[in-house]
Amino acid sequence: MDGIMDSRAFIRVDQLVKSYGTHRALDGVSFGVGRGHTLALLGPSGCGKTTMLRCIAGLETPDSGTIEIGGQVVFDSERGINLPAEERQLGVVFQSYAVWPHMTVAENVGFPLRVRRVPKAEAAARVTRILEIVGLGHAAAKSATQLSGGQQQRVALARALIHEPRLVLFDEALSNLDAALREQMRMELKVLQDRLAFTAIYVTHDQSEAFGLAERLVVMNAGRVETEGGPRNVFHRPATPFIARFLGLNVIEAKMLADRDGLAEIRLPQGTTLRGVLGEGPAPAPGSRVLACIRKEHVRMGHETGLPPLEAELRASSFLGLTEEYVLDLGGVELRAVQPPMGGAPGDRVALAIRPEECVVLPA
Amino acid sequence: MAGGVSAAGIGRDLAPAIPEAPPRRRFLGLQRALPAAGVIAGLLLIAGPLLATLIRSLLVWEGGGARPSLGNFAGVLSDSRFWDAIGNTAICGVGATVLSCLLGFTLAWLVARTDMPGRSWLEVGNLIPFFLSPYVGAISWIYLMAPGSGLLQGFFLRQLGIDLSFVNIYSLGGVIWVLTLFYTPYVYLFVMSPLRQMDAALEDAARVHGASFWYTLRHVSIPLVSPALLSGALVVFITSAGLFDVPLALAQPSGIRTMPTEIFAAVQYPSDFGRAASFGVMVLGVTILLTMAQRRYLARRRFEIVTGKGYRPRVLPLGRAGKAAALSLEAVYIGGAVILPTAALIMVSLSRLWTGRFDLARASLANFEYVLFNFELTQGAVINSLILALVGATVGVILAVLQAYYLNRGDPRRRGLADAFLSLPLGIPGIILGLGFLILAIRTPLYGTLTIVLIAYVARFFPFATRTVSAMFLAINPELEQSARASGASWWQSMRWVLLPLLRPAVTAAWLMLFVIFIRELGATILLYAQGTETISVALVLLSDRSSGYVAALAVVQLILLLLAFAMFRLTRTSITQA
Repeated sequence: MDGIMDSRAFIRVDQLVKSYGTHRALDGVSFGVGRGHTLALLGPSGCGKTTMLRCIAGLETPDSGTIEIGGQVVFDSERGINLPAEERQLGVVFQSYAVWPHMTVAENVGFPLRVRRVPKAEAAARVTRILEIVGLGHAAAKSATQLSGGQQQRVALARALIHEPRLVLFDEALSNLDAALREQMRMELKVLQDRLAFTAIYVTHDQSEAFGLAERLVVMNAGRVETEGGPRNVFHRPATPFIARFLGLNVIEAKMLADRDGLAEIRLPQGTTLRGVLGEGPAPAPGSRVLACIRKEHVRMGHETGLPPLEAELRASSFLGLTEEYVLDLGGVELRAVQPPMGGAPGDRVALAIRPEECVVLPA
Repeated sequence: MAGGVSAAGIGRDLAPAIPEAPPRRRFLGLQRALPAAGVIAGLLLIAGPLLATLIRSLLVWEGGGARPSLGNFAGVLSDSRFWDAIGNTAICGVGATVLSCLLGFTLAWLVARTDMPGRSWLEVGNLIPFFLSPYVGAISWIYLMAPGSGLLQGFFLRQLGIDLSFVNIYSLGGVIWVLTLFYTPYVYLFVMSPLRQMDAALEDAARVHGASFWYTLRHVSIPLVSPALLSGALVVFITSAGLFDVPLALAQPSGIRTMPTEIFAAVQYPSDFGRAASFGVMVLGVTILLTMAQRRYLARRRFEIVTGKGYRPRVLPLGRAGKAAALSLEAVYIGGAVILPTAALIMVSLSRLWTGRFDLARASLANFEYVLFNFELTQGAVINSLILALVGATVGVILAVLQAYYLNRGDPRRRGLADAFLSLPLGIPGIILGLGFLILAIRTPLYGTLTIVLIAYVARFFPFATRTVSAMFLAINPELEQSARASGASWWQSMRWVLLPLLRPAVTAAWLMLFVIFIRELGATILLYAQGTETISVALVLLSDRSSGYVAALAVVQLILLLLAFAMFRLTRTSITQA
């Protein structure tokens, strides 16, 4: 996992810039992906992740920077290299699936072989095989428009894989599917990737999709890389307030009191002191403003936590099934908690506790 | 590759480090060059005649040399005939526009929103006049209503005892009547889709909040359709006022001056091109101003009345009296625009000598035989028209596809300007564009050839095709082409295998539309034809003072060509809606 940025990286993106008028969609983005690895570009809409993907695919021309795939420079602004999309040897699964309505399923899937002038018999055999793999063996002769969304997605996937591309790009490939289907496709994609061992880049705004599919994440914000790392690390130790908010954590303003062996002591506006782990980088100076980031699931309610309880008032609750989401008022600070359902009415006083290791303290 | 894919390894040990691609610049590939060429060709086709007209309007010939002067404008503006013509043309344009809007909106509303019987047939029937020739329509109405010898006049007098001789078809009223018949489908087409796709919830909301049916119609439905209605009205005004065909047949014989016939007259011997050109420049100024006003108006008021959900608009039950009234209106319209003129044409064409009465016992095909097999002028005209329509439609559609590609897939910064320029000819009267090409070509070998007529046709009408194809582009997700590129297809392959097949319905429709327009075109042709390059419409004009029978027979031949195209249009249209 280490050395992703080293010279052996299969895909290297370096200092990529792309502007639309005055808007900088990509503002000096760099990252790398190892061969056979899976990377997710995660971020809110408009963060530049789709532009990034389209630049790799050759569908968009960056203003400056370089892109290298498998040791081959496919884009370099300084040397004037810009390989067109069709010469980059990729597979792309588009958000809209882009399944051609005037062709049958087999024609859609066989298209990459047709343009490569693969002999008909061989092409037909390969189409049959890949359709079996994606579970559409029965649908080869159907018109692509007769298929359901999930089936069209599989057609798009089969088409992206059939020519054995060195790299497959997925643009929000799962976000048009309903929840159950999305879950199923995500598992199938993982299995397929293990079996076919292609390098993959997923673009998504859905964190569970990113965590579930990728070995590495690049979180983007406003055209820049906000952080990069393994899913567990990004998830458990949000590196910036932006990421914490994007992942849905509580982000509370507080004041730094002291740094005790990597554990920060902070004071919340209403006076309570809290302890939390410090993020990367130099520790904030005592007295400076900091942000405490706490996962909703880690705002523990009730007295049996073994920690000094904080007093809060219940504002509202919303029953979610296995869990319940609560809106709490901790001395004027709004806090959200997701806990096992325990009832309670607005106005109730509740005790809550936050473990130091589950509270990340970042400079404001 | 035996034994499953996994072993063969899709991707696993692929691509043993591909050698670095040689540096190359691809800033001027086919992908950019071809669509840009289409746009440039379009711009040249427009700029050439317009600049020629403008320059010619500013030149005065004196003692064998030309010098720049405003004399032509001064001459035209101080001429009472000019003001006379402008006034008459304004009356015709406004009259035809108001009546077409009333009729077109009512017919569209009846078809789209009521339970009028036979709606699915009438929906198509209302569109037939769109495909017919206004010049032939005007001639047919002369056969029907000519003072003393009109078929309809005779019928009313003999069968009903009603004397219609006070109705004079050779009048501004006659021009307005025929223009209305032919321009109603324009308004009808413009308002049909908003009426049909309007989200019923918008109207339901008014009803739920206490508005009556009529109140809702006045304050919700009509305002929502008004951008489409106004667009339609402006198109009808500009095109009907600029139309040469109908005033030629109905106004000129009784000495009524109009703008198009005055321009035509100025070019006839003894010709005064300066006068014609300055007249044309002033008309162009007005047209361009009106078109720009419309663009601005539409840019400000764009309603989101189509929500994209599968709503069916509410259908209003008409009741017995309502249905009778609706069907009567349809009978008057389709009868007046299609059935009566066609019947009159057929009767005249079957009569050896037209006297105003049709005698079935003496009917013969002699006129057809003469026109098709024995008369060089008409034979040549049919062939010329077919050549122009087939080649012109093909050239026009190729240009249209390239331009539509540029306007929808090209550099977004240049699209708006290109679109504005490329839609200019939509408002330019054919006779003025014809004048421009005449000025351009008159001293060149192109003068008097079919080629210059063809160029004028394409220049005047390619925007119709570009619009049609462009509208289809909006429905095609660019990812459909991009996925072809990403799959390894070159730009040309992605065009051939993905984009063009997807565009085919629009391309077919645009081709047929151009074919129809070119088969009947008169305004530009009348200035550009020479001996040997007459078209059907020109031959109709040339024969009009010689023999009604030949004219009618030739008009029937033209009608058959137009109806064939219409039938094909219906066939392809149905397949569009099915897809």
